[in-house]
Amino acid sequence: MTQEDDTNDDVTLAGEYALHLMDAAQRRAFQARLDAEPALRRLVVEWDEQLVPLADNFADVRPPKAVKSRIDAVLFPAAAKQSWSLWRVLAGSAAAAVIAVAVLVTIPQDEAPLPFTPSLAAEIVAEDQSLVVLASYAPETGILRVDRQAGAAPSGRVLELWLIAEGAPAPVSLGVLPEDAVTDITLPADLIAAIAGGTLAISEEPFGGSPTGTPTGTVLAVGAVTAI
Amino acid sequence: MTTREDVENLIQRVGLGDRAAFSALYDATSAKLFGVCLRILNDRAEAEDALQDAFVRIWQKAGSYAVNGYSPMTWLITLTRNLAIDRLRARKGGAVDIDEVHDLKDTGPTPEAAAVAASERSRLDGCLNELDADRADAVRGAYLEGYSYDELAARFDVPLNTMRTWLRRSLIKLKECLSA
Repeated sequence: MTQEDDTNDDVTLAGEYALHLMDAAQRRAFQARLDAEPALRRLVVEWDEQLVPLADNFADVRPPKAVKSRIDAVLFPAAAKQSWSLWRVLAGSAAAAVIAVAVLVTIPQDEAPLPFTPSLAAEIVAEDQSLVVLASYAPETGILRVDRQAGAAPSGRVLELWLIAEGAPAPVSLGVLPEDAVTDITLPADLIAAIAGGTLAISEEPFGGSPTGTPTGTVLAVGAVTAI
Repeated sequence: MTTREDVENLIQRVGLGDRAAFSALYDATSAKLFGVCLRILNDRAEAEDALQDAFVRIWQKAGSYAVNGYSPMTWLITLTRNLAIDRLRARKGGAVDIDEVHDLKDTGPTPEAAAVAASERSRLDGCLNELDADRADAVRGAYLEGYSYDELAARFDVPLNTMRTWLRRSLIKLKECLSA
């Protein structure tokens, strides 16, 4: 085997590793090589960087608040214990109880998720009513809530949501809709201004969404965004 | 919006043990990373556990970020995706239920955030488009759903060795295209 073949093999192996296609034993063996071979590590980094645009297809979903508390409790157990004992000291004294109540009153406000109060909405409806999707946008949260009330993607296809900003030359993808009826999309900052007065559309696309960045399948339903 | 420099700066501060930076990094990136976990695992409780694993690892590994050669979001996404897939594989125990694999088809949340510059995305899309459609879908399925060779073979109804050959040849073609 020539040196070039070896290099090609390593490029492919690094790609398989980056995609996480190896089984557990292969992966461990490859990781042992990674520890010893900086050139191989560079190949993996290069693949990870080249493949990461696919990660645009992962929806932003805000995790529940409890997850961060759990992480902090794992990483900083002493700090968690400290604030707990401080709490007990405060709660233990009658004078401090007043403070504790004040804390109790303020914490829930701080912790509660922002209420979803939409000010913009669109009814994205197919002409024959075979697909009915309601979208509403709450500016305080930056969330566009998409509620599919009727219809689904054709077999083997997915539904992709598009925003056509007023006067814009081309639609911008807001992503492939999941099978769940209701989904929350966190609008990227650069699209927030475009939603008011814009139009939302849904097309059917191949698995993974439009490969070109513009709709490639049939546009099934369209709806204008209006103030509510 | 948090810029690449902001995230990079936060990771470096986390590497120095800065807890405020850790919380800020969590606020800036946890929605993206939770989306990764949810898509791969398709289960909310497991996705929460995977996100927890990821941020514990981020805290522990941030000190070595500067020398690992990654751009900040790639490092965070890659680390999280790998942990989520490890968890997925552990759950499945290597066994593949073909019905389940087909059920998984087309599921999972996917609205996209502008995590990556559009030009990089169109470059990768362009190179994926040069592959046969099935093979490009197999690469996407591996990346986005964490499908193993076994699952991809079942999903595309080809023998395991054929799927291996598809993927390896696709990777070689992709690399040629991406490096051109």
